Amino acid sequence: MKGLFGNHIHLTSKVLDMRLERQNIVTGNIANVDTPDYKARRLEFEDKLQQALNLDARGKMTRTQQNHLPAVFNADGFKGDGLKEFKPRHVYGEDSVDMDKEMAIMSKNGLMYNALASVIKKNFEGLQKVISEGGK
Amino acid sequence: MDFMTALDIGASGLKAQRATLNVISMNMANIRTTKTLEGGPYQRKSVSFESSPVYSPFDEAMNEQLNRDLHGVKVLGVTADQRPFKQVYEPHHPDANELGYVYYPDINVVEEMTYMMNATRGYEANVQTIESVKQMFNKALQIGV
Repeated sequence: MKGLFGNHIHLTSKVLDMRLERQNIVTGNIANVDTPDYKARRLEFEDKLQQALNLDARGKMTRTQQNHLPAVFNADGFKGDGLKEFKPRHVYGEDSVDMDKEMAIMSKNGLMYNALASVIKKNFEGLQKVISEGGK
Repeated sequence: MDFMTALDIGASGLKAQRATLNVISMNMANIRTTKTLEGGPYQRKSVSFESSPVYSPFDEAMNEQLNRDLHGVKVLGVTADQRPFKQVYEPHHPDANELGYVYYPDINVVEEMTYMMNATRGYEANVQTIESVKQMFNKALQIGV
């Protein structure tokens, strides 16, 4: 199947998963906006993903032996880090979630998710085009 | 990790804010109530929330670590405010005591209004999250169409 769908499709779908998870976490934060002592939760994966992808950038990784193969990035095994903000902000004892921040994260996340979904869609459309045009 | 989790969490937030709104309207409606079923004037009520995990049995079986951090919100209960009653001299009031004083609940309309605005905004924010999840869901459905 690798010939038909490139590796990037797996990667994009993994990032979509991560973004959905982030949406879940942000929704939880917003739902708990009035819960005392609730700590806002975060999902971080971008840096880790960049690092993991860099392993695949041929030549960037230090190899002690030229014969060693560079590790190929596998999207399936990738996971994000669930982080917690350990210092809740207390304003009159009941404001621990920063609503502006959460809404901004949510809209950024939603936009990126939709953009990535469009990217995947375009991938398939391109494939379809190749197949139908190639038959002529 | 699915869309319905986000909707469930959003719904729990909506429910919690609506409960707050109910209690606030109860406070406002009873601002001059001097007689209650429990006896005595009405006591101001407030709602307390607790974050509750939405870790489904499926996630547990799959040992899904990320979903362990997902929390919705739950209404723990309605608690009575212990602030003292307001004493007003009204000798002709049927509930006046022998000195002519009537006890009214100490409810501040401005305070209740701010709590109400807070609950409304919280509700709206939760609606936005649900809206945004729905958009994402629709976008995902379009993949491959």
